[in-house]
Amino acid sequence: MTRHLAGRIGQALLASFGVLTIVFFVMRLSGDPTLLLVPEGASAEQIAQLRHQLGFDRPVPVQFLAYLGDLVRLDFGESLVQRAPVLGILAERIPYTVALASGALLVAWGVGLPAGIAMAVWRDRWIARLLQALVLAGQSLPTFWSGILLILLFGVTLRWLPTSGVDGPLSLVLPSLALGAVTMSSFARMTRSAVLDELGRDYVNAARARGLSRSSAVARHVLRNAAIPVVTIAALEIGNLLAGAVIVETVFAWPGIGQLAIQSIQSRDFLVVQAVVLFVSLVYVACNLLADLAYAAIDPRIRMRA
Amino acid sequence: MRRLLAAVVAFVLASPVLAQNRDQLTIDLPADVATMDPQIQWDTDSATVYRNLFDNLLTRDKTGKIIPQVATSWRFENDTTVVFDLRTDILFHDGSKLTPEDVVFSVKRITNPAFRSPQLSQFDQIIGAEVTGPAQVTLKTKSPYPVLLAQLVKLSIIPKAYVEKVGDVAFNQAVIGSGPYKLASWQRGVQTNLVANETYWRGKPAFSRVTFRAVPDSATRIADLKTGRADITRGLSPDDAVNLRSEKGLDVRDVATERVAYMFINTLHGPTTDKRVRQAIAMAVDRDTLITALQQGYAKPVDVVLAPTNFGYTSEVKGWPYDPDKARKLIKEAGAEGAVIPFLTSPVYDRRLNEAVQQMLADVGLKVSITVVDQPTYLKRRLGTPEEASSLSQGRWSCGCLDADGVIFPLFRSGSVWSKFANPAFDAEVDAARATLDEGARRAHYKKAFEIMREEVPALGLFQDEAIFLVRKDIDWTPTPDEAFFVFDMKTKS
Amino acid sequence: MKSVPIAIWVVLSVLALFVLAAVLAPELAPFDPLRQSLLLRLKPPGTVLGGRSFLLGTDDLGRDLLSRVLFGARVSLLVAAVAVVLSLVVGTALGLAAGWFRGWTAVVIMRSVDTMLSIPAILLAVLTVAVLGPGFLNLVVVLGLTRWPRYTRVAYGQTLQVAALPYIRAAEMAGCSSFRLLWRHVLPNIAGPLLVVATAEFGLMILFEAGLSFLGLGIQPPAPSWGAIMSAGRAYVERAWWLTVFPGACLFAVVLCVNMAGDWLRDRIDPRSVSR
Repeated sequence: MTRHLAGRIGQALLASFGVLTIVFFVMRLSGDPTLLLVPEGASAEQIAQLRHQLGFDRPVPVQFLAYLGDLVRLDFGESLVQRAPVLGILAERIPYTVALASGALLVAWGVGLPAGIAMAVWRDRWIARLLQALVLAGQSLPTFWSGILLILLFGVTLRWLPTSGVDGPLSLVLPSLALGAVTMSSFARMTRSAVLDELGRDYVNAARARGLSRSSAVARHVLRNAAIPVVTIAALEIGNLLAGAVIVETVFAWPGIGQLAIQSIQSRDFLVVQAVVLFVSLVYVACNLLADLAYAAIDPRIRMRA
Repeated sequence: MRRLLAAVVAFVLASPVLAQNRDQLTIDLPADVATMDPQIQWDTDSATVYRNLFDNLLTRDKTGKIIPQVATSWRFENDTTVVFDLRTDILFHDGSKLTPEDVVFSVKRITNPAFRSPQLSQFDQIIGAEVTGPAQVTLKTKSPYPVLLAQLVKLSIIPKAYVEKVGDVAFNQAVIGSGPYKLASWQRGVQTNLVANETYWRGKPAFSRVTFRAVPDSATRIADLKTGRADITRGLSPDDAVNLRSEKGLDVRDVATERVAYMFINTLHGPTTDKRVRQAIAMAVDRDTLITALQQGYAKPVDVVLAPTNFGYTSEVKGWPYDPDKARKLIKEAGAEGAVIPFLTSPVYDRRLNEAVQQMLADVGLKVSITVVDQPTYLKRRLGTPEEASSLSQGRWSCGCLDADGVIFPLFRSGSVWSKFANPAFDAEVDAARATLDEGARRAHYKKAFEIMREEVPALGLFQDEAIFLVRKDIDWTPTPDEAFFVFDMKTKS
Repeated sequence: MKSVPIAIWVVLSVLALFVLAAVLAPELAPFDPLRQSLLLRLKPPGTVLGGRSFLLGTDDLGRDLLSRVLFGARVSLLVAAVAVVLSLVVGTALGLAAGWFRGWTAVVIMRSVDTMLSIPAILLAVLTVAVLGPGFLNLVVVLGLTRWPRYTRVAYGQTLQVAALPYIRAAEMAGCSSFRLLWRHVLPNIAGPLLVVATAEFGLMILFEAGLSFLGLGIQPPAPSWGAIMSAGRAYVERAWWLTVFPGACLFAVVLCVNMAGDWLRDRIDPRSVSR
């Protein structure tokens, strides 16, 4: 088991390294931030001088090796635009994204789980069809559209909630709703499918034969067993959440790392972009790993194949 | 770890600032401060905040004239040497005195190539800075530099001892200046809080607390003002301004700035190398409709590529009249009917202006094809070779120095990265204008330069940009053309 | 054909309508989608001026919204379709190769899949656009480049299973060429689940293109695309709600129909497969 684990961690780290390399070279291909940093009237010599000062006139592989050397010493460098340590910038912004992701997960679980259970348990009734339609709708909504509509409705027309930015805990509501809608659909479907699977199992029929009502059977046994695949899907969804956060943070001006990433790409703040991508891919990879391990724990056949 | 915790606590406790409190001021800006260190980033949103924390060597009054601040007076010993007498009663926020050593340190730090200041090119004509008396410094320039004083308006004085003690990175996090406000806290990406410097040498500031919030969406900024969450915001679009004119309790205040909107035309490559095509373009653009329809009148037309607030502006050089028929004739003459004109731009520039011009040029037979790339790519191409730069671009230029030298020299003098224009007569005029301190002579040179530009059309001057602010009615403040944002100059009307 | 529920017929008809609208846009659109009228900016739906009727209103340069939405349908549907085909072909080919030849081929390919899946798609798209520049062709390339791993994963797993089947192994030992086997026997067997993925991806690609255009990285003005129209309309969301609502509603409707059709398809072909 530990060998398997070690192997998977190794693969995960390799994947992250691959990501870093790709991002590094792709960013360098798009130019450098020198032109963005100089004032309007700078001359060609002044631009060249600044470029040299910043080290962007070195060949790209040389820059890459220098970067790797710094990484090994856990030196993530300094942002060119903000003249502050990259790690510090990230540390300030990550909590906002974490808050947003938590809010979205809360929405997704809070709505998705009961919906999924209902859809499975009452699958022959009209309520299941209605819920199915709603779940499908949630999956089909473009996040930026639902975001803008939410702002328009609750922020501008009704003035119930803040329209954007960070203005106290209430400002987390709208962005979480927008971000959580899509994940909610996944959870609902996954829960429905897992519960359906369980409901079909022999032990449930046996329990029913013993006289246990369907709802007790569901509550006592089915939910507990269905929870396992659902939890593993949650781990995978976190990765998707981070991706969706980029658009939501832009629409709602939420100062998380998604917004930071977009801004840094647009200002060619390489070191920040690389750090964000590294962080996100590590989280992604860690979540995938957790999900895989959970699967392997339940299903011995998978363990053998790897 | 502590920073993480602080951010979480700050987030949880962040509450809407009670803007109704007349002692506090809340300002919504489109973006957060990039650096608090005044010698690094120079963008509007950063400068808006940090200029309140520092004093500058010189400053401008409401009419734009350069007046003393840290320096009480100055005299030119010769064309390349200026002596400044300094105030002796200024204290930094940590109590230490502002001395000539601090002034010299500020100059040397920003002109030090190893410091990599993005503002270097605005100060690199200064080759010497020395303490020459208990309250005196002397600056030397490479050659006669008529824009020196204008550039020094942008030099903030920083405390040498403190900066050397804590280092550049820590200084950026927790700046100390001598200005009317002190930095209380800076939550990156969210907001900056300032508190009044009670012992400020010009007097106690009217507002005891000031908060600058980063709110990228203009609709949200306006909503904040309507609900009283904020007191002032900038960057209103002309459409918004028209809508808000009748809003109770709020004032739309606009000011004609030194920024000029123009259309760059490539004279060195593509269909626009033919002068007739360029002149046709000048006659095909209906500038007045652009100003009425797109700018809702919040713009003043200019015939030259310079705003009237700048030194060197002349109204004696007339532009080309709007005459689409003549334009079509010229294009036929030049054999350029149906020519494809590449137009390069980025999201930074108003896309409606681009598309409107595209339509106007289509009406006279030129097919404009617009390519939008992001700002870094745009700069790379626009500042590259004439082949990369495309035939047309929109431009919005301000040098922050209120002088033609900062505008048409970098834009059109051959050899400059922005210039896709090579005219020796033009070069001679702008070179001469920069080499003398005699104002009359400079004006004459610039007039000649603009006459050459009128004939050759390396660019089309469109209008003088306006900055539009939304301000709570009871705040007594008028915006100035240099877009300075000094909270010290604001107070509530009694 | 087994019984197809009414709901699915409805869904497929709606999709067909959109496709038809996109194809016939030049005939259906009342005006040139690029024609500006600077004096008719931001007019509400139903405005009739000078004999011209703007059913859905005008945008911030006075262009007819209905015409732009119709032409925008072309862009949104075409980009998604091409991107799906591109990533389907590339991803399947790689998955087949990995599953069939195994060994180092599989290791390299599947590690690349892992790497690609570790980058959030949108960040990769933003990065690539920064390098390649925006525009229709580059957008398709970007979308194709980011999505192929999903097909590869499925194709790989399925190919492994099919390759182990006795008759395939027998044919291989009998000297049948790999290509022939892959083309005529393996591919048809794995097509089902791949089709399911493709349908789900189609909806996602439409949303993706809209999202990128919304961020300013996709289709460039003045060309219309639903995402680009919404991006431009965002500054006027209070005063000119129609610029956000109508393109968004179209987007929603199309993606909803695609997802419903995809779900039904998945239930028919591969009921055991995971929905995402």
